[in-house]
Amino acid sequence: MLHRKIWVKRPGASATLVKIKEDDLVDDLRDMILQKYANSLGRSFDSPDITLKIVTLKDQHQREERVMGPDEQICRTLDTAYPEGQTIHEALLIDVPHRRTPKPSPRAHMPYYPEETRPYESGTDYFPQMPINQPSPAGSTNHSHESRTSQVNHAHHTSHHSISVLQTGQIPPLPSPGGTRRTHHNRPGRPGYARTHTSSPTTAANPPTIAAIAGNPALRTSRPRLDSSASDAKHTVSSTTIQPLPTPPLATTAEGAVPPTSVPTTPRVSSPGPRKKKLNPKRITTRSPSPDVKPTLSILDTSVPPINVLIVEDNQINLKLLEQFIRRLKVRWQTAVNGREAVTKWRQGGFHLVLMDIQLPIMSGLEATKEIRRLERVNNIGIFSSASSEAPTLAGSRLLAPQDVDGKEVGSDAEVDEEKEKEEDKLGDQRRLFKSPVIIVALTASNLQVDRHEALAAGCNDFLTKPVNFVWFERKVKEWGCMQALIDFDGWRKWKDYAALQQADANATNAGSGPGRKNMQDKKDKAKKAAANKKDLDRLRRGARETSTSGGTGSGSSGSTGTGTESEGTGIGMDDAMGNKENKG
Amino acid sequence: MARPSDPVDDRSDAGSVLDTDIIDTTTFEQILEMDDDEDEREFSKSIVYDFFTQAEGTFEKMDKFLEQKNLAELSSLGHFLKGSSATLGLAKVKDSCEKIQHYGAKKDASGTTDEPDDEVSLDRLKKIIAQAKAEFKDAEKILRRFYHDE
Repeated sequence: MLHRKIWVKRPGASATLVKIKEDDLVDDLRDMILQKYANSLGRSFDSPDITLKIVTLKDQHQREERVMGPDEQICRTLDTAYPEGQTIHEALLIDVPHRRTPKPSPRAHMPYYPEETRPYESGTDYFPQMPINQPSPAGSTNHSHESRTSQVNHAHHTSHHSISVLQTGQIPPLPSPGGTRRTHHNRPGRPGYARTHTSSPTTAANPPTIAAIAGNPALRTSRPRLDSSASDAKHTVSSTTIQPLPTPPLATTAEGAVPPTSVPTTPRVSSPGPRKKKLNPKRITTRSPSPDVKPTLSILDTSVPPINVLIVEDNQINLKLLEQFIRRLKVRWQTAVNGREAVTKWRQGGFHLVLMDIQLPIMSGLEATKEIRRLERVNNIGIFSSASSEAPTLAGSRLLAPQDVDGKEVGSDAEVDEEKEKEEDKLGDQRRLFKSPVIIVALTASNLQVDRHEALAAGCNDFLTKPVNFVWFERKVKEWGCMQALIDFDGWRKWKDYAALQQADANATNAGSGPGRKNMQDKKDKAKKAAANKKDLDRLRRGARETSTSGGTGSGSSGSTGTGTESEGTGIGMDDAMGNKENKG
Repeated sequence: MARPSDPVDDRSDAGSVLDTDIIDTTTFEQILEMDDDEDEREFSKSIVYDFFTQAEGTFEKMDKFLEQKNLAELSSLGHFLKGSSATLGLAKVKDSCEKIQHYGAKKDASGTTDEPDDEVSLDRLKKIIAQAKAEFKDAEKILRRFYHDE
C-alpha cells in the first residue's frame, strides 16, 4: 500500500503534512488530522466535526472553495485539482465549528419565542435534541452588535444555533437553504402552545411569591436566614466605608446601621471570660469598655431607643440596682418579682425587652420564658405583622390553626378544652401592642454552660451573667433595643423627633452652653466623680486591710465572680423579628 | 490577691490594692458610680444597708431550716443571698452562699457530684453557714466604716 503526504492547514495557520494511504477517503484523512492536531483539535473535536475544503484557482484572480465530502477519495480529488502535484500553498483547509464556549445565540436579537425550541416538524435531524437553556434576549443585548454582524454573514453555516451544535455534537456541513427560523415560525397551522411553557426552567426557578411565604409558615424559617445574610453583606459594606472615616457626621449615620447587624455577631466574639477578668491585675482599668467598644458606645450614647423594659428579679437588692441602671438609660421600665407576675405584665403588651432572672419563686424564669414564647406562638406574634389589622380574618385564623395546635402541645394543659384555652390565651385588644417577639435576656448567676444552654433552649435570646455589669447591661439594652426599634421603625422615628425636640429645649434652657460645652461639663463631672470614687475606695481598702488581718483567710477559689457576659446564640426571637420587619416593609 | 506591684501602680489602681477577697472593688465601684452625689452616696448606701437587713434575715431563716433539716430551702436561700452578695461584690460571702446552695441540693461544694448522705450535707451546711456569717460580718464592718457609720 502506497503512502502519500498531503498538505493541510487551519485557516490563518501554517500548513503541515499529513500521511495518508493512496486510497484513503476524506473521512480517513480527518482521523489523521486529529492525530496531527492532537492538542488544538483532538481534545475538543471528533473527526466528523471537521470539514475539509479544497481551494482551487479558477483563473488568476478567482479562488474557489469547495467542501469535500467525507466519501471522496482524497488522492483522486487532489490529482484532479492539482495535476502538477499539491504545493504547500494549496493545502487543504481544515474547518471546525468555531464556537466551543456557550454564547448567546447569534440570532438572539430576534424576538424571543420559546416555541423556537420545538424541533422541526419535518423531523430533519439537524437539531434532533433541542437545547433546554435557550438564551434569553436580555442576555444577548450586549452582543447585539456581534450578532448583527453574524447576521450579515448569515450564509455561514455556524450562524445556526451554536448551542444546538454543542449539545448535539453536529453541525450542518452546508447552509440549509430555506431552513431559517423565520419561515418556520410563520408556518400556519402549527400547534398554538408549546411545551416549553410548562417546563421552562426559568418558570420553575422563580422565587415563591410573598403571599405564598406568608401563607405557609413552614417556609418562614428559611427566609430570615437569607435576609440576615443580606444584611451581613450590607454591614460589611457600611463598616468598610465608615471605619476609615472617623468624622462625627459619618458616625451618626452609622448608628442606624450598626446596631441591628452587630447583634448576632458581637456577643459571640467579645465575651470577657469572668475568670480571666478576676486574674487581671488591673481590674478597674479593664472594666471600662475596651477600645473597640468605646466608639460604638459613644455613638449610641445619645440614642438609647425608646424601648420598654421589663425587669424580672426577686432579689430586692439586685432589683434596686437594675432599676438604677435602667433609670440611667432613660428608658421606660417595669418590674416583676416572679415568673407569674412577669407573664402577667408581659400580657399587657408593649414590652421590647425582658431581663429575666432564671431562678425565681412561684414560676421560674425559664418557665416564664417558655410560657411567653408559647403565647407568642398561639397569638402568631411575629409571624406576620397583623399589628395593623385589628383582628385576624377568618381565613387567616384557619390558615394558622395548625400552629395553635402546636402551641397547645407545648403547653402543659394540652388536653383541656381547646376553645376555652384559646380564649384564655388570646391577647385580645392588646394584640397591636405586640409588634414582634419580645427579646428575653436571661440573668444567670452561674457560669455553667448547662444553665446557659437551658436558657437559650427555653427561648431566651441572650444572657447576662450576674453580678450584672453596667457596661454590659447598657450594651445589651442598646443592642436589642436598637433592633426592636428598627422593627418598630415608625415608633422609633417619632421618638427620634421627640428626642430632638427635647434636646433643643434643653439647649434653649442651657442658654449659651452648646452641646459641645455640655459634653465637656459632663466629662468634668465624670472625672471628678471617678476621683472621688478612688478616694473612697482607698478608704475602703484601708478598712479592709485592718479587718483582713483578723478575719481574712484568702481563698483563691473565688474565680466565679463573673462580671462579664457571654452570648452564644440569638434564639428564635431574632429570626422572627427579622421576618416581621420584612413583612412590614 | 497580694501582689508585689510597684508603688505607682499601687496608687493608681484601686482594684489591685484591695488585699482581701472580702469585697470585689470592681463590682462595688460600679455601684458607687450609680450615686448621684459622691458626698451623700445615697443610692449605694441604701442598697448596702438593705443588703445588711436582707442578709441578717436570710441567716435567721437558714438557722431555722438547719434545725428543720430542710435542705431544699437552704439551697434556695443560698442561691438568693448569692445573688445579692455577688451584686455588691462581696466575693467571699458569695462563694460561701454558692456552697450553701450546692450542699443544700445534696451535691459537693462545686455542685458537680451528688452527695447521697443527707447528714453529710447537713454537717457541711452547718459549717459553711457559720463561715458565711463570719464573712458577712467582716464585710459589714468594712462597709459600715466606709459609710462613716460605726
